[in-house]
Amino acid sequence: MKLTVHDLTLGYDATPVVNGVSLEIDAGEMVAIIGPNGSGKSTLLRGMARLHRPISGQVLLGENDIHRMPSRAVARTLAILPQSPSAGLDLSVRELVWRGRYPHQGVLQRATAKDFDAVEWAMDASDVTRFADRPIGHLSGGERQRAWIALALAQQPQVLLLDEPTSFLDIHHQVEVMHLLRRLNHDGMTVVAVLHDLVLTARFADRVIAMRDGRVQFDGPPHEVFEPRGLEQVFGAPMMVIEDPITGLPVPLPRPAPELCGFAPEREANVASG
Amino acid sequence: MAGTATPSARRAALQRRAGLQVGRPLLFLGGGLALLVVIGFLTLMFGAINLTASEVWSGLTSDSDVFARNVVWQIRYPRFVDGILVGASLAVAGAMLQGVTRNPLADPTILGITAASGLASATALVINPQIPQWGLAMSCIAGGLGGSLVLFFIAWRGVVSPVRLALSGVALSAFFGAAIVGLMSSSRTFLQTSLGFLAGGLYGSEWTEFHAMLPYVIPGLIAALLFAGRLNVLQLGDDVAAGLGVLTDRTRLAILAVCGVLTAAAVSAAGMVSFVGLVCPHLARFSIGADHRWLIPLSALYGALLVTAADLIARLVIAPSEIPMGIITAGIGAPFLLYLVKYR
Repeated sequence: MKLTVHDLTLGYDATPVVNGVSLEIDAGEMVAIIGPNGSGKSTLLRGMARLHRPISGQVLLGENDIHRMPSRAVARTLAILPQSPSAGLDLSVRELVWRGRYPHQGVLQRATAKDFDAVEWAMDASDVTRFADRPIGHLSGGERQRAWIALALAQQPQVLLLDEPTSFLDIHHQVEVMHLLRRLNHDGMTVVAVLHDLVLTARFADRVIAMRDGRVQFDGPPHEVFEPRGLEQVFGAPMMVIEDPITGLPVPLPRPAPELCGFAPEREANVASG
Repeated sequence: MAGTATPSARRAALQRRAGLQVGRPLLFLGGGLALLVVIGFLTLMFGAINLTASEVWSGLTSDSDVFARNVVWQIRYPRFVDGILVGASLAVAGAMLQGVTRNPLADPTILGITAASGLASATALVINPQIPQWGLAMSCIAGGLGGSLVLFFIAWRGVVSPVRLALSGVALSAFFGAAIVGLMSSSRTFLQTSLGFLAGGLYGSEWTEFHAMLPYVIPGLIAALLFAGRLNVLQLGDDVAAGLGVLTDRTRLAILAVCGVLTAAAVSAAGMVSFVGLVCPHLARFSIGADHRWLIPLSALYGALLVTAADLIARLVIAPSEIPMGIITAGIGAPFLLYLVKYR
């Protein structure tokens, strides 16, 4: 289902954090939102998931304004995993994932076969079935993050939004989470994630939205967005881009400051020209 | 083996694994109910004058023993069912408050809702000492609802944070509590009963208290059950809950209002009983876990057990006189609170 952001302005009190952003995200896209701290990328994502009431503008899910739809109806189509969710540490993984069926269940309705199947699928897809009965508090960072993703998957969403799903994870678990998202996307789910890691972004996103000061600065495939001049504009830091020898994809890196890194200036020149 | 299982057998196996089997909760509910019946029978037997089991039975079932029948039906049985309603209301209010604030120390007393109801009750009694029980209950409800709303709006700043809610509750509790004591010390007629009211107890509780509570307790408990699913989701944090389709602030306001009604109903009959709402939900959680669809009914049962048992003890320790029941619940609850603070 298509997600349309139309002239959206979001903010806390009257100060806009996201300023007149318009976007169209088609069904089946894999999108990363990047930008420096305070650029409004998390706020934009939360606004797209109706966690933030707009100052002006609107977000359409399909044809409908998400703030005019019943909130549970939105949750049956669109799931959001907020940044580092906490709490609920007394729950087992399975109990957590079952909570994801809330938007599908009536007040007094018992769990149906559909609920069981959805929970089983969500746990299998995110590979948490092995430790389904362990308390969330006892899991490693990567396991816990996959358990929260399983909660979102149990909603059986067509659109999945994630706010920094890989922060605080080591490189192995980061790649694991990104592989999971890639697989879900491959099976037809629209995935939009706020990401901090530019290398992972380049590797896994089909489309990169770069934000700065509450506006979209660049919007395109990684090889277009990830060029040094543009990245420097977005992040306000000297950047360079090398080529991944295996995939040919861009690998954005901070340009070394020779006097601080212990590199000889001529070597830096070599990299830049090569 | 899994390959040969029929779909329904497979589903049953999944259901078992899902921890959604009803066996364990039903076991605790059944055991609790049996215990409640035992406490009920002991309540009918013992008091200022002890009856034998056969006297209780004939009092319950026949008109032959007029004395036993009156003691059983007019004094002890109504007091027992009053205790059930008081305990269930306070414990369910506590379970909902702990869920909605995500704070294990929340309960109607600590958040000031008991004190708000008590202040309304004391005020009503100062204005009209002859106020009928249903009128007293109504003013308590007004006080309890008012207290919950004040709590909600003081704690409000765009979103209601659990921490702010708990801190506001502590302040409100102290404020309302001081107002009650001030009101009571300035009124001579109160000194007799005010001690029992402040500590909480069912001294002299009859059918009038029962009938005055019932119209608030029954809808309150039904509402609590209907909110169970939302409480389960609110536990996961506001953002996750909102993402799953819960209107978090509106739900919190509604839940606080239900807690206000339940607490106030209990206060109208039993005064300011403390710690029932704190202890019982924790015991229920230890028994069956954190699913509010079971936690709420089991908390209600544990609350009924605690209050009826405490009332029985309160009537017996210095029989034929009695001590306020709230002293017993506080005697159990205060050490439990300290245990939670230290170890949880």
